[in-house]
Amino acid sequence: MFSEKIELKDFDKQDPEYQDLLRRVLAIQADCEIGGPNLYVKDILPNAPSKLDQLIVARTAAEEMDHYRKMAKCAGDIGVDVSYVLSRPNQERYVEAFRGTIKTWEDFSVFGFLIDRVGRFQLEEFIDCSYRPLARVVEDPQVIREEEGHIDFGTNCTAECAAKGGEAKERIQRAVDYWYAKGLDMFGNSKSYRSERYIHWGLKRRPNAVARQQYKDEVDALILQMGLQLPDPNKGRLYM
Amino acid sequence: MQPAPNTEALDQQFKEFIQALKGAVNSAMPHLKDDPKIVDKAIDDCREILDVVMEGKVKEWLS
Repeated sequence: MFSEKIELKDFDKQDPEYQDLLRRVLAIQADCEIGGPNLYVKDILPNAPSKLDQLIVARTAAEEMDHYRKMAKCAGDIGVDVSYVLSRPNQERYVEAFRGTIKTWEDFSVFGFLIDRVGRFQLEEFIDCSYRPLARVVEDPQVIREEEGHIDFGTNCTAECAAKGGEAKERIQRAVDYWYAKGLDMFGNSKSYRSERYIHWGLKRRPNAVARQQYKDEVDALILQMGLQLPDPNKGRLYM
Repeated sequence: MQPAPNTEALDQQFKEFIQALKGAVNSAMPHLKDDPKIVDKAIDDCREILDVVMEGKVKEWLS
């Protein structure tokens, strides 16, 4: 197991596999950060339920853009230009959850509740990781606070919709059913060889299956608290 | 290690986008109840900035 801490100046000296994995994970992370705003800005910013909600949508997009910027800087410093993810169509994003569009407030809410929460799990992987410039990005209290803010807002909106009952509850249940599968899939294949290599090189902490289970335990409890039904964890899944 | 071309320029451009967006949001928040014109203007500004970012025409930004 690799236990060194690497700074930018030492990147060139690292094993080619380490370099490849770091380049790859930074490109994916940058793509996911900007992938969120590309899903919801167009339809949700003009149509959010209130002006306050519109401002929160804009602020959320600004914060995700800032997270993209930090990942893009990290990638750029090691020679990886991730500006191509700014103009790619949603359908070409690395992660399946970011390949559509969000057109309803319920989907925007659940996206914050479930998918931004996966984002927090992914960022946690890099805390104290072997590449210090990346670790510093995710250990920045501002980044953590912002991600928590997106998750809390989405969770509260989801709970409010569920508490209304009737059609509102049915709509939010449908959104939960849809994003639940996407969220579980975002952790990747449980038997991923690459996942093991990330851990070997100290770039990630948990195997995919462990992180997925921790996430599932967390969101299942919240879904039940909201009086919603737990979706079938095997339905609509691409990676197990 | 050579950084990728435009790393600094893109970083700077994004800082400006983000600052402008946050500035618009922060200017509107205190006026949600007393001045809808300020709020509407801020939302329009945010939409305009975000439209540019979502278009992703990086070469135009950096030229």
